[in-house]
Amino acid sequence: MKYLSICSIAFMNLISVSIVCFILSLNFLLNDMIYFIEWELVSLNSISIVMTFLFDWMSLLFMSFVLMIASLVIYYSKEYMSADININRFIMLVLMFVMSMMLLIISPNLISILLGWDGLGLVSYCLVIYFQNIKSYNAGMLTALSNRIGDVALLLAIAWMLNYGSWNYIFYLEIMQNEFEMNIIGVLVMLAAMTKSAQIPFSSWLPAAMAAPTPVSALVHSSTLVTAGVYLLIRFNILLSNSLLGQFLLLLSGLTMFMAGLGANFEFDLKKIIALSTLSQLGLMMSILSMGFYKLAMFHLLTHALFKALLFMCAGAIIHNMNNSQDIRLMGGLSIHMPLTSACFNVSNLALCGMPFLAGFYSKDLILEIVSMSNINMFSFFLYFFSTGLTVCYSFRLVFYSMTGDLNCSSLNMLNDEGWIMLRGMLGLLFMSIIGGSMLNWLIFSTPDMVCLPINMKMLTLFVCISGGLIGYMISLSNLYSVNKSHKFYNLSVFMGSMWFMPFISTYGIICFPLNYGQVVYKSFDQGWSEYFGGQYLYKKLVNYSQMLLLMHNNSLKIYLMLFVLWILILLSFLILL
Amino acid sequence: MAQVPLAIVSHKRQVCSLYKRALRNLEAWYDRRDVYRYRAVQMRARFDENKNKDVAEGMRLLASGQKELFENKHFQPRNFANSPGGCAFEREVILPDWVLDYWHPLEKAQYPEYFAKREQRKKEYVAWWEKQYGKPDPSDLGHH
Repeated sequence: MKYLSICSIAFMNLISVSIVCFILSLNFLLNDMIYFIEWELVSLNSISIVMTFLFDWMSLLFMSFVLMIASLVIYYSKEYMSADININRFIMLVLMFVMSMMLLIISPNLISILLGWDGLGLVSYCLVIYFQNIKSYNAGMLTALSNRIGDVALLLAIAWMLNYGSWNYIFYLEIMQNEFEMNIIGVLVMLAAMTKSAQIPFSSWLPAAMAAPTPVSALVHSSTLVTAGVYLLIRFNILLSNSLLGQFLLLLSGLTMFMAGLGANFEFDLKKIIALSTLSQLGLMMSILSMGFYKLAMFHLLTHALFKALLFMCAGAIIHNMNNSQDIRLMGGLSIHMPLTSACFNVSNLALCGMPFLAGFYSKDLILEIVSMSNINMFSFFLYFFSTGLTVCYSFRLVFYSMTGDLNCSSLNMLNDEGWIMLRGMLGLLFMSIIGGSMLNWLIFSTPDMVCLPINMKMLTLFVCISGGLIGYMISLSNLYSVNKSHKFYNLSVFMGSMWFMPFISTYGIICFPLNYGQVVYKSFDQGWSEYFGGQYLYKKLVNYSQMLLLMHNNSLKIYLMLFVLWILILLSFLILL
Repeated sequence: MAQVPLAIVSHKRQVCSLYKRALRNLEAWYDRRDVYRYRAVQMRARFDENKNKDVAEGMRLLASGQKELFENKHFQPRNFANSPGGCAFEREVILPDWVLDYWHPLEKAQYPEYFAKREQRKKEYVAWWEKQYGKPDPSDLGHH
């Protein structure tokens, strides 16, 4: 009898639930329905503990996308992780992750959001440290601790929410939006979302988390976990629109987008380039959200999830074939050796760039046009368009490095497209990456937005994309006598290639002062005063006392007699006095 | 501790090490093979130029070479995936079999059948070994 593998079982379950969720979401969308399910857990006298679930088109659609990507990723893992001895643990962890995500998506209540949120943090830590080398442990620690800041912020928000008597934020958002308490909750929720979505200054964990196995990166660090922050803010969007908070977030997310785009151009690790590209797209979502267009953010979140998961899966297939090597300098000419994987890779890359009629085009173009129509300052406008150009630039650089030219890898490497299970998983997402954008565009925006722009502005997006692509091609170009361009501008390259030194600042930068302080305290207190007056002093005194006692016990008849007389005198004096 | 020199490294070995590191650095900067070869040949020529210098001059050149390498080090050096510094280095830890022998008796008691079989197999293995190679020399057992 042939047994079904855990991957196949999980795949079938998840994909069927995903289809059901998708159909339900269409129903909810078309009929404009929202279901609020209250499940009373405990009712004791007047105290009732109620679990609330919110089902609207947004949560159902997001759920169906998460489940679909998760199912395909699990299907893909069947081959990718086939040599792994702990595959059952791996699949269980991925399923736990999906559960936490589901809980987060359908919660209109801060407590249950925290449950899902913490579940995500914990499981993502376990998944990052799945491979047991030191790099993974360090990356896991950075991930877990960065996300912990967000967890604490959510906990503080829960404490503040006690002012209102319940944690169902959804009831209070609109009526309380100008209250001081609500603003504090807004700040805390924004902080939590910024840590989860890796916005500046919490960006360093996302590229570090690439130490996880590639299917995990495809599911967790591209399409679902990191978008949890964006999703949370979509739910809290009322607090962001037309407020100082929104402006602040716009600046930070714009900078994140810019920083990640620049960093990806100087990165050589295939997975880290894609991670930085994710960071850049997260910045885009956050920034359009902070301008008040939450539906656009949701739209981009969903399309991005599709093509980014595919991009990661292709990267995984390449890495798998390259014997775990992730350096793009070792790749080249893959389009000849792995044509199908390369085709998927290119489609997802083009979708990321906003190539017309692929998934990314619909959301990205719409976002940029809305930005062009809005009143935002020149700096933010520059960040938006420059980052779009950078996206195309690093995508073309990546394609140039890995797909064209000669193979730079060590010899005797068998490169081929033979992983049919992996390919099937990728082809499933390929289909969605092509049609996903138009489908969602027609579904979510039943009446299209009126975009009215002068021809120059309309063409600006196209112009930055084409010039970005050209620059990407040009900087990758090298001939026999060329000097490496980043070698010429060494300091600048190091600065940009290391995410503006953010990984150093958020690790060494934070731990540096406590460690130095600890050293001082250890030296002058633990080993200094505390030792002198504590351990050593006590020891010396005890030695002295015991020496004195020894002296007394030295069988000295005089001392005994003197003590005897002394006692008699004391007793007598007591007798007389009493 | 890493900086403490544990052995005297000859000048020749230091130069060879510098040459190798310089080539690896060039490999990181120039990723296309033909470009790298061109640079590598130039680098070799630079080393060959100073082949027969006296010791004092050689040491000065070595120091300046090391400084130059440090100043031109790639910010993301190209590492082999399974070597130290690479992304897949020590990725999967396979615990050695003898770890099970160090389990606490209470832990072992949770899997009685497994450990009974394990002890039996150990005995069989020792018997097989002694049949194959004879009894070990008692003087060899001193390291235990």
